[in-house]
Amino acid sequence: MVLIGVSLLVFSLIHLVKGDPVRLALGTRFSQQTYEALQHRNGLDQPLVQQYFTWAGRALTGDLGVSFRSGDTVTSLIGERLPATLTLAFAAVLLALLIAVPLGTISALRPRSFVDRFATVISQIGISVPDFWLAIVLILVFAGTLGWLPTGGYVPLTEDPLGWLQRLVLPAIAAGVVSGSVLTRFVRSSVLEAMGSDHVRTAQAKGLPGRQVFGWHVLRNALLPLVTVTGVQLAYLLSGVVVVEIVFSWPGLGQLALQAVRSRDYPVLQGAILLFALVFLVINLVVDLLYSRIDPRIRR
Amino acid sequence: MRLSRPLILATAAALALSACSGGDKVDTGGGGGGGGGGKVLVAAVSAQPDKFDPHTTSAYPSFQVLENVYDTLVVPNPDDLTMEPSLAESWKTSADNLTWTFTLRDGVKFHDGSDFDSADVAYSYNRIIKDKLANSYRFANVTSIETPDPKTVVINLTKPTPNLLALIGAFKGMAIVSEGAAEKLDLNTKENGTGPFTLESSDSSKTVLKAFPDYWGGKPKIDGVEFRYITEPAAALTALKAGEVNWTDNVPPQDIDSLKDDKEVDLESTASVDYWYMSMNFARKPFDNPKVRQAIATAVDREAVTEAAKFGAARANETAIPEGSFFYNDYAPFKPDAGKAKQLLQEAGVSTPLDMGLMVTDEFPESVTAAQVIASELEPIGINVKVETLDFATWLDREAKGEFDAFMLSWLGNIDPADFYEQQHITGGSSNYQGYSNPKVDQLLTQAATEVDQDKRKELYDEASTMIVDDVSYLYLYNPDVVQAWTPGLKGYKIRADRAINFENVELP
Repeated sequence: MVLIGVSLLVFSLIHLVKGDPVRLALGTRFSQQTYEALQHRNGLDQPLVQQYFTWAGRALTGDLGVSFRSGDTVTSLIGERLPATLTLAFAAVLLALLIAVPLGTISALRPRSFVDRFATVISQIGISVPDFWLAIVLILVFAGTLGWLPTGGYVPLTEDPLGWLQRLVLPAIAAGVVSGSVLTRFVRSSVLEAMGSDHVRTAQAKGLPGRQVFGWHVLRNALLPLVTVTGVQLAYLLSGVVVVEIVFSWPGLGQLALQAVRSRDYPVLQGAILLFALVFLVINLVVDLLYSRIDPRIRR
Repeated sequence: MRLSRPLILATAAALALSACSGGDKVDTGGGGGGGGGGKVLVAAVSAQPDKFDPHTTSAYPSFQVLENVYDTLVVPNPDDLTMEPSLAESWKTSADNLTWTFTLRDGVKFHDGSDFDSADVAYSYNRIIKDKLANSYRFANVTSIETPDPKTVVINLTKPTPNLLALIGAFKGMAIVSEGAAEKLDLNTKENGTGPFTLESSDSSKTVLKAFPDYWGGKPKIDGVEFRYITEPAAALTALKAGEVNWTDNVPPQDIDSLKDDKEVDLESTASVDYWYMSMNFARKPFDNPKVRQAIATAVDREAVTEAAKFGAARANETAIPEGSFFYNDYAPFKPDAGKAKQLLQEAGVSTPLDMGLMVTDEFPESVTAAQVIASELEPIGINVKVETLDFATWLDREAKGEFDAFMLSWLGNIDPADFYEQQHITGGSSNYQGYSNPKVDQLLTQAATEVDQDKRKELYDEASTMIVDDVSYLYLYNPDVVQAWTPGLKGYKIRADRAINFENVELP
């Protein structure tokens, strides 16, 4: 149901935007006959309602149509770029969690300490630094001056595991820093909140050792909001981090969608947005399932 | 210091990775090209090709690859872009200039091993004509293409067409594919050309070409070419300096000056046949008044625009064709002069301040910078320019509908003067979006299009372009430079004014 709604919305919004894919495809010089011939070949001479039903009908069978621009099927274009996007999104979220969980927890346990202030400053910087700037600085330093890592590109894990990892490090940092900063703040506030709650005070009062109080009563409660926010961050990263992808020549879905917008490649754009909607739905579902794992109250 | 552990971890990981690669330079497999141990040139280009069908693509990234895969009957000479033999060895025209007879080269093989002959030429041209493809306008004067024997192609015309060679040879959009190729192959992803390289594979990271051993011009000296798409110029330059790539045309404009003395890269630049211009809407007041347009043309300092938009990597020009070309018209009536511009506005009876929208597109960031400079130069004469930055699709849409006061854009890769002037300025021309109409210019352009005497033809175009400049149909700004950089020691590469990149004769150090 949601997907049908999304598809209708996407379809009408896309066609509301100005710009003519046929003119873009033909370049600078062409005749009226040429224009009409290409318009007909792409099915753009049909009424809009009919275009929608043709597209939606095929989409139901898994056929998302053919790109105006390249002539490839939309499913193959998306399929080609999906592994790169998945790799970068999960690596960035993993990196973000690796930074956020320890840093946020320590800050919350020792509020207003040096560590806490340091974390606040760092996460503030992490949120405000523009990603394209960070990405270029990373390239200039680690690929240029130091020469430790390649400037960009992507190779599949199966082809060259080491090359895959080498090329992943810098984009993952560039894409993960913002999420890491957001998550650090989240971990800090939710741990603080859990620490101040009644049941933690009770646990401390009845003399449970600090480690047990923290592990069982604080972390578990603090985890709930963290799962939600991580889910949102992951969904955001999965729908493509365009700037990071462009700077690091990372062939992800963000670049594909951007190119599709520019060339008004409706089939590709529709397919990509449909996929992004699907990603959000799936991640929401996974978050809900995780909730019930963590919080027994929900299971009932 | 427990805090900084993640940072230490990240650095340690980076160190470990670089240690694994075993050297101070990262081995990217560029030299190996997936085994074989031969020499593969790695070229960093700024975007992925959209498709490889030479007759249907209009994207420059596609032509960067296709240039090395396909041939045309004739080809622009790398030095002055005059047409020279390629698949056609020689040609002659009939006395009435209505019939061109081409004699084809012997011993040319397609990549699948089949022989090239006249049927392939007829098939390729007829495909463009019959399917009404984008380049069919190039055959507007062609009545038929005949193949009396396998080595001869005859092109029959309705009227003399002195620029026929440029029409069929200017770029690889007029490539010769083997007979029936479009039916047998998916030309979007496969090819069967006669060029020095074959298309091996292409994905969202790279396009790989392999040397074609039976190439009629002799087997290339390198084993292949790998095109990598690096959109960010700073990253492309870093990759070149780090030795990951051997060649790039994606040089950050602000770095050009410092790179000239850099020992780590070879940098070359040459004036291109592209030009940037601004145009005003003849259907909107007061821009229909030639005095208003001349006032604006007088107020704009082209040198300042060039410096701001291209960091000097361009040549200011008041006509379209660059200096050094046979058809260059040395005519520059407008000297930057705010006082004279104000006076012209007064003569036109325009009350200032006057508002003017200037439409540019972020597809070409240099045009945005140029527009800002123009805006600052028009302010003192009482014109408030509102720079409207649009995405290209919207820009084109508004141009086609005439919804603009003024716009800025460029024309790329022109060779024949007809490409520079005809459709842009003839009444009702397909690219005459500004709505210019001058019967004298129409007559000159029409006459020049069929004038077979080169000197006479130049006179006609000079006369027409002088009027076009005076009437400010286009306000010409500059010809940008082609700027490319490569690894020191790379030999046999020639930078070209038409931006075609050809790796046929390249040798790696």
